[in-house]
Amino acid sequence: MSAWKDVQKLSFTDASARERALGIVDEDTFTEFVGPRNKMSSPHLPILGEAIEFDDGIVTGVGLVGKRPVFVISQEGNFIGGSVGEVGGAKMVNTIRLALKAYEDVKEKYPDSYEERLPAVVISFETGGVRLHEANAGLLAHAEVMDQIQNARGKIPVITVIGSKVGCFGGMGFVAAATDIIVMNEEGRLGLTGPEVIEQEMGKDEFDAGNKALVFRTTGGKHKYIMQDCNFLVANKVAAFREQLEEIMEIPFAEVENYRRIGSLKLVEEQFELVKLAAELQPKDSKEMWKYYGNEDPDQLNELPFEEFLKNAKRRERNC
Amino acid sequence: MALHEMNFEFKVDNPKSINKEWSHLGVVGSGDMEVLMEKKDFDGATKVKVVTPVTGFDKVWGMVLEKFVNESSLGDVYLEINDNNATPIIVSLRLRQALAEANNSETGGAN
Amino acid sequence: MGIETMIGRGRDAIEMIFDQGSVQENVVEQYEFDAEIGPGAVVGTAKLEDETVTFIASDAQAINPRFNVVYFGVIGMEEAYKMALAVYRTMEVDKDKPLEEKRPIVLIVDTPGNGPGKIEEIIGMNKATGAYQLALAEARKIGHPIVAMVIGRAISGAFLCHGLQADNILSLAQDYGTMIHVMPLTSISRITKLDIERLEELSKGNPIFAAGVNFFYRLGGVEEIVENPEAMRPLIRKHIDSVRELKVSGQAEKLGPWGRGLLGDERGGRVLRKKVIELMDAQYEDIAEKYLTV
Repeated sequence: MSAWKDVQKLSFTDASARERALGIVDEDTFTEFVGPRNKMSSPHLPILGEAIEFDDGIVTGVGLVGKRPVFVISQEGNFIGGSVGEVGGAKMVNTIRLALKAYEDVKEKYPDSYEERLPAVVISFETGGVRLHEANAGLLAHAEVMDQIQNARGKIPVITVIGSKVGCFGGMGFVAAATDIIVMNEEGRLGLTGPEVIEQEMGKDEFDAGNKALVFRTTGGKHKYIMQDCNFLVANKVAAFREQLEEIMEIPFAEVENYRRIGSLKLVEEQFELVKLAAELQPKDSKEMWKYYGNEDPDQLNELPFEEFLKNAKRRERNC
Repeated sequence: MALHEMNFEFKVDNPKSINKEWSHLGVVGSGDMEVLMEKKDFDGATKVKVVTPVTGFDKVWGMVLEKFVNESSLGDVYLEINDNNATPIIVSLRLRQALAEANNSETGGAN
Repeated sequence: MGIETMIGRGRDAIEMIFDQGSVQENVVEQYEFDAEIGPGAVVGTAKLEDETVTFIASDAQAINPRFNVVYFGVIGMEEAYKMALAVYRTMEVDKDKPLEEKRPIVLIVDTPGNGPGKIEEIIGMNKATGAYQLALAEARKIGHPIVAMVIGRAISGAFLCHGLQADNILSLAQDYGTMIHVMPLTSISRITKLDIERLEELSKGNPIFAAGVNFFYRLGGVEEIVENPEAMRPLIRKHIDSVRELKVSGQAEKLGPWGRGLLGDERGGRVLRKKVIELMDAQYEDIAEKYLTV
């Protein structure tokens, strides 16, 4: 049996970054860029006595979904929390650049039918953002990734998947928000400030970072799904993420923009309204927002098995 | 307190190299390690480089690796290990898995 | 002469930088902004040597009455969306103007962070700062010259939000108490378990982790250091002109985050970045055909 088939059965949370990368595209189509054999590990970690990894905790490469080249970035949360430093940051930035290069190439080669070969970028986030051991380079890399995401606007879709234990926080939290389409599982979390930091800032009474249910309610996949901050919620299997990606690739590119949360005047106005609502409601718990959007018994909804949750959850209405 | 680097070389009778040109296994999580194996013309020897934040276990590493190389009759291979406090059980496990992966003809990717 | 810090003095900086009597808060042409909403963000129109510019700054003295972690210059959700809106309105009013006439946007940077509260996470603070960054990136790419002037605190995610998407970044010299960092060295010390003295020693040879304007300069994260507050006005003017010239002559890749990546290599602070990119490019070239002609 091929590695790809084995990986399909894995839970997304348990899979490694490399398994996720090769498993999310078609069978045996993934080619890695600057993989372990290139030994591009961080030169900044050894002087601080921190262990290194040959891929610097980020797997990048290209695969296929049908005819479409899919450029993959996959972060490894088990290596220094999936943090982004100079090498890993450069890998992220350049993966998007290569996807844009591929876009120009297919347009040139197939002027009349390039959309069926339109490249895409998929980023599997598992990170708290900047790597503190090389904080300055990590920070600057974040800005570069954001810049490339804007370069991709109107050309190729950039798709986020979050299905890991670490979740996606810090600077990468807003990078993910800036992509076109977001796919999560229940286990995935997306935000800016991690639970420990909120507890530190606001006190344990206000936010108990040890309360797992509260932590998941605040930034977990289900809440993000109801808020429309993630577009699709899927089961915790590599195969489920891949199948969702296949469906996303069927969306005509002209419609991809409709899946966005931010990135235009219209969308910012919509989000501004949501902030005004939050200022009025002053929700102390995400359950209050669930209720506001018509989920009368948030606790019961939260208890439902995944499929049932999808059927029953009422989501924030989009006005554009 | 920079990272600690150890280098070893072993030679066994009738050594055999790995099937693949190279192969990689593992993630450098806390208590874990990665192994990169590459086929090399080392005149039958196996060379190993270990990079780790942990110091003071050079001798033990040497013995564990020697045992592994002997048992698997390995030769003409360069092994590089990035370690982050892996336990003895994990070290043995990863070495075995890495070798299996390096000799597995069915999994593609590393070619 | 005693050196006076500019921290917490965003409004003073606005007065010092722009033409006397030209500052109009909460206005970008026909569009007005509600002064009550996002009080920590100061946006508006001013003139710089007679040219109309949009300015975006933080008011560190303001307290947002609706979101209780938003004061001291923290960028909360209202603030970030207000800033984003100022950028979109700027693009809108200049949409028919040619490249050389797109109005500049000046960012005055003194912010310690993004809103770190529970309500922010429930609603999605990450979207708010992301929205502002995308707006700036778009404005930069369609030709508005964007210059950021760090006068005080430019800390981590808040600097990403308000500053790092600019074409060029200027910073007041370290002597003025200017702070550019992700984390102070004390926190890095706690995480790496290395003592501060050792870290300070190490940072002399490698600017990659230590806090400070000069380290960011070496990494290409800041284009120019401004020696004193009086020099802000002429240098911002100079950078607007040079940024515009590069855009008009089709050299925009020397600007913004990518341009600072090139600068980091030039200044010897971030040399591996380029190697990684070149290796990836070469590896992609080898296999591209296979993926583009399925």
